[in-house]
Amino acid sequence: MPPGDLDKALCGLEFPTDANVLVGLSKADDAGVYRISDELALIQTVDFFTPIVDDPYWFGQIAAANALSDVYAMGGEPKTAMNLVGFPLKKMDLSILRQVIQGGIDKVREAGAVLLGGHSVEDDELKYGLSVTGFVHPARILAKHGLKAGDRLVLTKPLGTGIVNTAIKGNLASDEVTRRIAVLMATLNRTAAEVMQKYPVHACTDITGFGLIGHLAEMLEGAECGLKIVVENLPVIDAALEFSAMGMVPGGAHKNRSFREHMVDLGEGIDPSMRDILYDPQTSGGLCIAVAADSARALVDHLQSEGVEYATIFGEVVESPAGRIQVA
Amino acid sequence: MSKVDARGLACPAPVLATKAAIESEHPERMEVLVDNDPSRENVARFLASQGYTSAVEQKGEVYTITATRGPDAPQTEPVAEAPEGAPTKIMVMVASDCMGTGDDILGAKLMINFIKTLKEMGDELWRLVFVNSGVKLTIDGAGTLADIQDLEATGLTILVCGTCLDHFNLLERKQVGQTTNMLDIVTAMQLADKVINI
Repeated sequence: MPPGDLDKALCGLEFPTDANVLVGLSKADDAGVYRISDELALIQTVDFFTPIVDDPYWFGQIAAANALSDVYAMGGEPKTAMNLVGFPLKKMDLSILRQVIQGGIDKVREAGAVLLGGHSVEDDELKYGLSVTGFVHPARILAKHGLKAGDRLVLTKPLGTGIVNTAIKGNLASDEVTRRIAVLMATLNRTAAEVMQKYPVHACTDITGFGLIGHLAEMLEGAECGLKIVVENLPVIDAALEFSAMGMVPGGAHKNRSFREHMVDLGEGIDPSMRDILYDPQTSGGLCIAVAADSARALVDHLQSEGVEYATIFGEVVESPAGRIQVA
Repeated sequence: MSKVDARGLACPAPVLATKAAIESEHPERMEVLVDNDPSRENVARFLASQGYTSAVEQKGEVYTITATRGPDAPQTEPVAEAPEGAPTKIMVMVASDCMGTGDDILGAKLMINFIKTLKEMGDELWRLVFVNSGVKLTIDGAGTLADIQDLEATGLTILVCGTCLDHFNLLERKQVGQTTNMLDIVTAMQLADKVINI
């Protein structure tokens, strides 16, 4: 659901909680975390959606990578997963469902986790995703909050999947772009998460439906600092800029923009096609990592040497103006 | 004049409706109705990318975008026989990073020289296409890069095979030309008057 609408629906509802809830609903985060012991906490998350690519096997992989990503963004390790399936039995052949789930299985296996079961309902359209449980040491949880002035911001996957997917629907994207973007979306954030554990990371989230700015805004929630980002340092899918200039921008990007625009100081000379990339809803996007300044370069070099080729430093945490995102 | 009523539609539907109208009717002038600001902006951007100039008028919640095809609009008439006196369209397809067989070091030198000399074809040179290991000529560090970039600067369309770049893991290193697919290459072969394979 668009940002804002969900807040409205949930506003004022009281959720049961106890002293072991380490990350719950009080502040936006990627997943919930529950302490089992002083050494172990449980990360729980769930995500599913309708197909974003035509190929069922790739759709399964992407949906699974997207769901697993929340565990990585919390600094954890996925352990178990359950399938969530909505399937239009009367319209689609069961072989399609089989391929979707095969995609999910392959990604869960690649993540080093196991599939324990799942639940399916008959639905008007195909939907697939996972509920994922992971482990993390309670002292090593990486929440969205924790930015420190001076931290550098690192992004591990290029932006623009929403725009490119829109162009694919409009028959504008070449087969090559279509394939490349499927590969990007199906890439696990596992390596990025493992490498990041070795550095002084203060906060982390994954970039998904709210777009880069939406997720940065969540990181800023309640923090007494601001952010400064430089668009030319952002990793962006080449074709996305081109398609954005053609107006191939999904409705979600505009919703994200109208919800967060008031926090953003957009520098002169940033044209609308680049601006829309900043708000573009991402599917299975990369990790956005806030790391101590003196370790940022080493982190990025390490990520790249492990094959996280798009990793770049794109911004920093500044003391003031607090609560604002300056885009240069 | 072609009309598209995209009121009540959210992005990207108005852009897609506009695209469909342009493709089916190739209108000189067209009018697109939208009822929200993002759609207005995106349709205007799309029209500009297709070589149309547009103006917007707002009445209440409805925006009327009027567009006129400019001189830069893509060729929309069926491709006619080349008129008398039009230059021959030569497509050069480079399928190796090395010219000829026998000695690869010599072949690489010859290739640099070949690319450098290609401009002598003048305006008959219509497409330059790189496939297989030929794509290595378009990446950073290639001895041929500067000359290919010069050719591109003259307005020559340069196509580089995406599958090939991907195969050699060079997608990010390509410095010149448009990444292309087999359909574009086959279409170019069909349209060319002469195809030269290297």
